[in-house]
Amino acid sequence: MPELMLETKDLTKRFGKVTPLDRVSMQVEKGEWASIMGPSGSGKTTMLNILSCLDTSTEGQYFLDGTDTSRLTERERVAVRREKIGLIFQQFHLIPYLSALENVMLAQYYHSTIDKREAREGLERVGLGHRIHHLPSQLSGGEQQRVCIARALINEPAIVLADEPTGNLDEANEKIVLDIFKELRQEGRTIVLVTHNPEIARFSDKVVRLHHGRIEEEEQFDEATL
Amino acid sequence: MGGSETSPMTNGRMFARILGASLKERRSRVSIAFFSIMIGAAVITALSCVYFDISTKMSRELRAYGANLFIGPKAESAARVLDARDVAEALSLLPPKNLIGASPYLYGVVRLDLGSAVLAGVDFAGLRRLSPYWQVDGRWIVVDFDGRSCMIGKALAKKMELKAGDAVTVTKSETGFHRKLVIKGVVETGQAEDERIFVNLALAGEILGQPGKVNHAMASVVSEGIDIDAVAAGVGARVAAVDARPIRRISYSEGRILEKIKGLMALIALIVLMVTTLCVMTTLIAIVAERTREIGLMKAIGADDRGIAVQFLSEALVISLAGIAAGLVAGFGLAQVLGQAVFGSAISFRAAALPATVVLSLLASVIAVALPLKLAVRVVPAQVLKED
Repeated sequence: MPELMLETKDLTKRFGKVTPLDRVSMQVEKGEWASIMGPSGSGKTTMLNILSCLDTSTEGQYFLDGTDTSRLTERERVAVRREKIGLIFQQFHLIPYLSALENVMLAQYYHSTIDKREAREGLERVGLGHRIHHLPSQLSGGEQQRVCIARALINEPAIVLADEPTGNLDEANEKIVLDIFKELRQEGRTIVLVTHNPEIARFSDKVVRLHHGRIEEEEQFDEATL
Repeated sequence: MGGSETSPMTNGRMFARILGASLKERRSRVSIAFFSIMIGAAVITALSCVYFDISTKMSRELRAYGANLFIGPKAESAARVLDARDVAEALSLLPPKNLIGASPYLYGVVRLDLGSAVLAGVDFAGLRRLSPYWQVDGRWIVVDFDGRSCMIGKALAKKMELKAGDAVTVTKSETGFHRKLVIKGVVETGQAEDERIFVNLALAGEILGQPGKVNHAMASVVSEGIDIDAVAAGVGARVAAVDARPIRRISYSEGRILEKIKGLMALIALIVLMVTTLCVMTTLIAIVAERTREIGLMKAIGADDRGIAVQFLSEALVISLAGIAAGLVAGFGLAQVLGQAVFGSAISFRAAALPATVVLSLLASVIAVALPLKLAVRVVPAQVLKED
C-alpha cells in the first residue's frame, strides 16, 4: 500500500462569512506530483497556505508525513516548515541585499548549519553556478526563480510546495523550471504545485481541481501521459 | 555580494552578514535612527557633565556676590571687638579648597579734611577676592604693610572732593593720629562701603587705638560638598571667642538657584529623551513596514519569532550602541561649548555622566524598539507573501 505524504480531511477555512475552503479532502502519496488547479478565488492559495503550515484551517485535519498539523502550536508549525517543507513562490521572494548563494544559505541558517559548498552545489544544479555572487536585482526572473528552487531544496525537504512557480516567467524560463520539476519527480520528490497552466499540470501524477473552495474534480494520470 | 568561496561561513558569520547587509540596505533610515540616538545621547552627556559640575561652577559664580559667612563676637558676650588672632584662627578652620576669600574688619570714626567718615581696616588681598564685584577707579592696595595709602568710597570721595591719586589727611584726636594718606583707588559698590575709607587692618588698629583687634570678619565659602552650617558650628566650637554663622539670605538663594537650574536641566534631558524615543520609534516602525515581506519570507523558510526578534533587536542594538558612543564624544564636546559659553571655563568629564548617558539612552532605545519589535514578530507570512 502506497505511503501517504499528506492527507487532508474535510479541511475548511473561514474568514467571517466567507469560506474560501470548504471540506476539502485529498491525499498525496510519497513521491507523487500533485497539481492544484482552479480559477481565481477557487481557494488554491488558501489551500497551499494551510498545506505549507503558513496558515491553519478553521475545521478539519491536515496530516503531513504522519503528523496532524492541525494540533500543532505556531512554534511547532514553524519547525515543520523548517524541517519538512520546501516553499517556492510565484514572486520568488528573495532577500534583495543577499547574494544568490546567501539566499540559499539563509534556509540552511534557519534549518541547522551553513554549508557553503552544498549551497553552491544547489545553485549549480539549477544552472546558476556562475551567478552565485549576484544579487537578485542582477538576475533575470527565471534565474531568481531558480535561486528560489535551490533554496527550497537545500534542506532536503520531505515535500516541495510551489505556488504558480512559472506564473511570472517567459516561455524559455518556464521550460527550464519545468525541467527542474520533472527531475525532482524522477528523483522521487513529493511535489504539490498550484498552477493555472494545464501544460504544466499535465506532467503531474494527479490534478485536483478546486471551484468555490470545493474539490470539483480529481484526475489521476498514468505514466503514459508523461 | 557574498564573501569569498574559500572563507568558511558559519552561522555566526551568516548572522553578522545579514545584520550588516540589512543595515546597509536601509542606510538612510538607519542614519536617521543613529543620529536621533546620537543627539539624544549627546544632550544627555552634555547636561550630565554640566549637571555634575554645575554645583561647583555655579557656587563659585555666585561667590562673586560677596560674603556668605559672618564671624563675630559671641552673641552672649558684651564684647564688640575680637582679638585678631582668634579671627585668624577661625578663618584658618575654613576648608581651604572652598574658601574664596575672607577679610577681618575694624571700624571707627575718623576726621578727614572736610568732615568725619567711617574708617574700615581690612585685609585688602582677602577683600578683593571677597568682593570681586567692586568697581575700583585707580588701583587696589596690594601690600599689608602699606601705612601711607588708603582707598575711599565713591560717595565719600565726591563729598570730600577727592579722587584717586589725591592725598587726604586722616585725624583721630583720641589717639593723636594725624597723617596724610594717598588715595590709591576710589571704590564703587552701590552699598554702604561707598561712604567709607579703607586702610590696612594694622594701620586701622594704629589710627583707632585698637591694635590687634577686629570687629568681625566676613568670608566667601563655596558651599558645594560641605555643610556650611556644620562648618560654622565647628568654627564656633573650636574658637571660644567667636561666633560663626552663614548669611542665610545668600546661602538660601544660592541653593534655590542651583536646584532650579538642575531641575530645568533634568526637564530638558527628559524632553530630549522623549523626542529621541519618538523619532527612533517612528523610524523603526517605518523600517518594519518596509521589511514585512522580508520578515514574512524569513518566517516562511523557518525563522521563528525568537529568530526574528533576535535579528531585529541586534540591528537596533548596533544602531543604539553606535549612536550612544558617538553621542558620548559629541556630548562631551557640547559640554565644553556650554561651559565656555555660560561659565567661561571647561567642564570636567564626570565618570557619572557615562552610566547616566548609557543607561538613559539604552532605556530610550528599549522603549523605542518595543512597538516595532512587536509589529515585526506579528508579521503573518501568509498575508504578506500574497501576490500584489
